[in-house]
Amino acid sequence: MNAFLRAVYRVFRKDLRIERRTKQVTTTVAVFALLVVLVFAFSFVQTLQRSALLGRGALWVAFVFAGTFGVTKTVELEDRNGALDGLLIAPVDRSAIYLGKVLSATAFIFAVSLVTLGATTVFLGYGPSIPTAVSVAAVLLVAAIGFAAIGVVVSVLTFRSGLDELALPVLLVPLVVPLLLAGVDLTAALESGSPLGGWLRLLGLYTGVVLLAGVATFEYVVEA
Amino acid sequence: MTPDVERAETASEPPAIEVEHVTKSYGHFTAVDDLSFAVERGSTVGLFGPNGAGKTTLLRMMAGLARPTRGTITVDGVELAPDDYTTYRTIGVVTHETMLYDELTARENLRFHADLHGVDDPADRCASVLDTVGLSHRGSDRPAAFSHGLRKRLSLGRALLHDPDVLLLDEPYTGLDQRSVADLESVLDGFDERTVVLTTHDLERGVARCDRALVVDRGRLEADLALDDAASFAAEYRRAIGVESEPERRGETTR
Repeated sequence: MNAFLRAVYRVFRKDLRIERRTKQVTTTVAVFALLVVLVFAFSFVQTLQRSALLGRGALWVAFVFAGTFGVTKTVELEDRNGALDGLLIAPVDRSAIYLGKVLSATAFIFAVSLVTLGATTVFLGYGPSIPTAVSVAAVLLVAAIGFAAIGVVVSVLTFRSGLDELALPVLLVPLVVPLLLAGVDLTAALESGSPLGGWLRLLGLYTGVVLLAGVATFEYVVEA
Repeated sequence: MTPDVERAETASEPPAIEVEHVTKSYGHFTAVDDLSFAVERGSTVGLFGPNGAGKTTLLRMMAGLARPTRGTITVDGVELAPDDYTTYRTIGVVTHETMLYDELTARENLRFHADLHGVDDPADRCASVLDTVGLSHRGSDRPAAFSHGLRKRLSLGRALLHDPDVLLLDEPYTGLDQRSVADLESVLDGFDERTVVLTTHDLERGVARCDRALVVDRGRLEADLALDDAASFAAEYRRAIGVESEPERRGETTR
């Protein structure tokens, strides 16, 4: 393993160790995602016969909220005690630090998304077949990578520039709209067996572009 | 060019740190304004100045945590460049914040930073550093359970892990009680061969610790003083930042 990948892995492993010990991100965010699903269940109790539509909506709404919280918590860890500065003075490429944080945030967002997927089945009767559920999980994984790639940059920018924490969703949500559109439509297409074509390309391309943009800009964002 | 830069250029090896015409601006506000100086190897230099003088900004630029708007900073003959992180191997940094994770133990914190710095035999090095900062019996405890003084010592240990030639200390005495200051001093006493640059408002301790004082005010270098005499330094310092006492002002007038 070369130095760059070793640095990515070390940042990721450190975050996992902290999460394993505190369960701060996954527990809080999973409970929040479950609450979103429950609110959907209570709000649309009269229309539960359209469970696929409801389940899909709840899944992606919970994804956005859980992702926002998840990425904030992951970056907040580096904001406390100036820990991010500790990473920046290490002789490692700063994009390795960025990718390590993206990897951690992706893991947390994806884990919570799987819990949400299960919750929509239990509480909203959203029941895709096993192969469809596996495909939806794959879509959630790619969307989680894209969300984390944008979220880490925006969260670091918010923390470093001392912006109010309410600024984070205001900056973040518009940037994840393409992921959300592609995710919702891909989920619907997977359920109905329609062609995935354009939405799949949008999800893949947008995720790739924001990841590359994050690698290119992180160096400047941390010095804001 | 300052006399120090000239002196450094005539020496056979480059100075430990060379700051040349460095400016740092945030929009219309200039935090550091065209500063130039060199720090000789093995010396201890204090950056003195009132709040907001630009000391911390300067130290952060020397640590590679902020990029100068103009000018260059060279450490050990190598310019700090955005894409060259190798220079960071020679620098250790202690700031107001510990840069530690409260969720990891003291040993795990050190191990993480040792791994990031590519330290050889990291387990032994972490044990040795814990011993140096007097925390070998607290290695399994989390920093969250430490007093401010112990956290500062652990932060110092983190900065020493990769055995840097240059140590940058931002307000190392702030918030420490007498005993913690004495403990910190005893650790710093072992730094004879390292180049140390520190910022402090504690003139007495700063004068006792440093060979040379750079007085910074409103981002500019107001004085570059050898620290032979603590009493005369206090007067020179007040004069440099424009807060000299009435007798001092009269003395200046009569001279």
